[in-house]
Amino acid sequence: MSNDLLFELGSEELPSGAVWPLVDELANRLTASLAKATLQHGKVYRYASPRRLAVLIHDVQATQASQQLSRRGPACAGTIDSQGQPSKALAGFAKSCGVTVAELTTIKTEKGEWWAYEAMMPGVNTTDLLPSMINEAIAGLSIAKPMRWGRGEVEFARPVHWAVLLFGEQVVTTEVLGVTTGRQSVGHRFHHPQAVDIVSPRAYEALLKDAFVVADFKMRRQMIIDQVQQLAKQHGFDAVMPEALIDEVTSIVEWPQALLADFEPAFLDVPAEALIAAMQIHQKCFALRDHEGKLVPHFITVANIQSSNPQQVISGNEKVMRARLSDAAFFYRQDKKQPLIDYAPATANVVFQARLGSLQDKTLRMQALMNYLVHPLALESAQALRVTELSKCDLMTGMVGEFPELQGLMGCYYARHDGEDEAVAQALNEQYLPRFAADALPQSNLGIALSLVDRLDTLVGNFAIGQKPTGMKDPFKLRRHALAVVRLLIGVPAAMNLSTLIDETLHVYGSSLKQTGNEVSQLQPFILERMQSFYQGQGVAAELVQAVRARQDDWLFDIDKRINALLEFIKLPEAVSLSAACKRVNNILQQAGMPTENQTVEQDLLEEPAEKILFNQLQAVEEQVASRYSAGDYGMILSQLASLRDPVDAFFDHVMVMADNQAIKNNRLRLLARLQRLLQGVADISLLQLSS
Amino acid sequence: MTKPSTFQDIILTLQQFWATQGCALLQPLDMEVGAGTFHPATFLRAIGPESWSAAYVQPSRRPTDGRYGENPNRVQHYYQFQVVLKPSPLDIQEKYLDSLRALGVDPLVDDIRFVEDNWESPTLGAWGLGWEVWQNGMEVSQFTYFQQVGGMPCKPVTGELTYGLERLAMFILGFDSMFDMPWCKSAQGVVTYGDVFHQNEVEMSAYNFEHANVEALFKQFDYCEAEAQKLVDLQLPLPAYEMVIKASHAFNLLDARHAISVTERQRYILRVRQLSRAVALAYYQAREALGFPLKHISHSVGRNIE
Repeated sequence: MSNDLLFELGSEELPSGAVWPLVDELANRLTASLAKATLQHGKVYRYASPRRLAVLIHDVQATQASQQLSRRGPACAGTIDSQGQPSKALAGFAKSCGVTVAELTTIKTEKGEWWAYEAMMPGVNTTDLLPSMINEAIAGLSIAKPMRWGRGEVEFARPVHWAVLLFGEQVVTTEVLGVTTGRQSVGHRFHHPQAVDIVSPRAYEALLKDAFVVADFKMRRQMIIDQVQQLAKQHGFDAVMPEALIDEVTSIVEWPQALLADFEPAFLDVPAEALIAAMQIHQKCFALRDHEGKLVPHFITVANIQSSNPQQVISGNEKVMRARLSDAAFFYRQDKKQPLIDYAPATANVVFQARLGSLQDKTLRMQALMNYLVHPLALESAQALRVTELSKCDLMTGMVGEFPELQGLMGCYYARHDGEDEAVAQALNEQYLPRFAADALPQSNLGIALSLVDRLDTLVGNFAIGQKPTGMKDPFKLRRHALAVVRLLIGVPAAMNLSTLIDETLHVYGSSLKQTGNEVSQLQPFILERMQSFYQGQGVAAELVQAVRARQDDWLFDIDKRINALLEFIKLPEAVSLSAACKRVNNILQQAGMPTENQTVEQDLLEEPAEKILFNQLQAVEEQVASRYSAGDYGMILSQLASLRDPVDAFFDHVMVMADNQAIKNNRLRLLARLQRLLQGVADISLLQLSS
Repeated sequence: MTKPSTFQDIILTLQQFWATQGCALLQPLDMEVGAGTFHPATFLRAIGPESWSAAYVQPSRRPTDGRYGENPNRVQHYYQFQVVLKPSPLDIQEKYLDSLRALGVDPLVDDIRFVEDNWESPTLGAWGLGWEVWQNGMEVSQFTYFQQVGGMPCKPVTGELTYGLERLAMFILGFDSMFDMPWCKSAQGVVTYGDVFHQNEVEMSAYNFEHANVEALFKQFDYCEAEAQKLVDLQLPLPAYEMVIKASHAFNLLDARHAISVTERQRYILRVRQLSRAVALAYYQAREALGFPLKHISHSVGRNIE
């Protein structure tokens, strides 16, 4: 026997960011407690809107299966005295099982005979388990900011108004967050304020749809995407639709209705990014572009009602948008009244981080570090100085104050307006790239350098004052910065070691930095750890990165080249046996315990044809690759190794390394040492785990 | 009541509506404050176990929001219509929507939304959860369930509704600029909001941003702070609270003059918050000494008393 289960919690409008996570967690917790109660069930559906969280679970087992209970008591020996009275231990055991001694049985094992209690426990009805399951699931929800209301002590994300709990067509009555469960839900706040009787769990979605509520979050999300795209297309535009905005809009409507509205074309003088930010962040509206990607003076808003006068909703939204854009235009005009550089003194008053000085202090440190990068990155010295001076100025402007995510970009616009070098303006825009893992990298060397010095300063400073991230805690986003450093350095061909950069940054901080411990020494491993996961994210096997790191662990550009070469190498048919040979060579040399520095092979001592062939081939390859290392031509080097496979295999097939003759043996070991050096020149290929 | 056609009609309608709901109609606080929340009828009455329902208009000043009268809906002086219901009734949202209906708003025509907006006043040591209410995308009200005031948990919880009167009026009266809305209509013609306040915006923006005497304001802040502390020690929470309000406004003016750096800013906020906490505690003790006189006043909101 099974029945469908429906639980719906009705509340006042939930915070948009909580709608989906709460229902997801609720569903997970409920299914987990069903599993714990050994209740089978079918498909699980999550419904969520601003005013409701609901979980529908198909075919939940109606009663737990009966369980055979078996408890072992004390050993039989000596538990019944001469008068036939049970010992204290036996009486206690019977009591703990809730039966008399006469009702106990005995079991025999190899070790003797024991008292036992055996019974069939009937399963509990699901309806009897549901009240505590529901309440426990709710009590465990992670609510960022719980609240109380009225005189109550109950806490939830917003005041709770109703709860539906059905098992099949039956109501399961219980108390949830101060309300009594029933079958009455409520429709759309304005289109259908009356109660909706939910006749059965599976009827929930359709009944609510009749009451102007699209309860299915994902369906509603898709509706919004479709409506917005269609409306944009009708007018020949493309909608700008970031995922986060779609999620947010989905979380604040129950009955989405996309509407197209306009703004004055004059606002298009303001940078498009600022306009888009104003539309998205403040108004939760979708910006529109024409087919050339240019912003057009229209936007789409998603209403929560099917208005009897949509024009009124549209003109209302237009009015607000005008005010928002006026504000952006105001800041843009106001900010340009003084040149960007004039905002620099104000950075002295802004704390970068409690123990790392002001924003101005940071800028000065960045300048010194930038100086260090002038040569390796072939920067123009004057530009490097200027761009660093200007780098944090836009943080002081009204526009960035209002829209912090426009940092860098506004600096770029204002610098251009001031007639700064185009390279400088562009680098200002690039300084925060990459902002997230998959984000674009700066294109110019100046931008790379600026992004790099900013992050190195942040990383070194934070590690020095003991702010290394631990577990989930990473308030200063150091992991993200470290990953950015990795991605940036991979693209810089100049010979720049990570350790040198860290030392240089530390040097720039100088005595101003009160170090709390020795955590700076953990920065390089921390960054390389990010590198490791960066490559893993690209589908590169961990041991492949390790193989390269065994040879190169400091110069990231070189590491990347080696990894790419190695990725090509492992595609070769020879790779498997060369890697295996490498492992074998390692073992032999290790067991022989002979120092491997001396790799002079004496030709006279080579006896077997196989070792002679190997040595010849070895020398030939050595000669070919010798000049390639300085050019970093790792692909070529590795591909040359392929020609060693047959001689190496033949060597192991026909040559006994541990010959009785000491001189011959040592000569062979030296040959292998030399082979090892050649095979592992680019990466320690013995670490690879390849299968043929 | 017919649909309001002037700014003052809107105030009258709201007053009438909330009076019917059993609120005490109070008058504005006669001091410079940033929001209706600063009125003792909200901030102090939210403290302790007593019931309380009140409504009032509060002129509010936010020096940094000044735009020299050039922005059609951003000003440094504006009006809030404030309603506080303690304890917050379960149908508070419906009551609020009824007040909009009384103003002629039809939620089947206009898109009304409750969009998450949590309120925190660092200076008052107060926070609450709630929404901004949108009418066709325009924020027309703030809706807050107070959770903590002056560092003390709110038990019971006060529900606070704050109508931004100018924005709401622009919507209801159909004007794009607040300065063009009619304040009242008389036989002599229409007096607009701009007639009443435009010059004030221009001059006050100039004062706030350019001429406010920074040195004197810093002194004023220090004076008010010392005075508030003294009054708390004398167990006079109400005059002490007035000093907190004055200090807070001096701080806002200094902010508009960019006279306070980010680091210092935190420190100033902390100083005002410490005072607010001390005042809140002193007020609680003073009410307790009086036996919480309003504790057993039955909550009349929701009953038609006409």
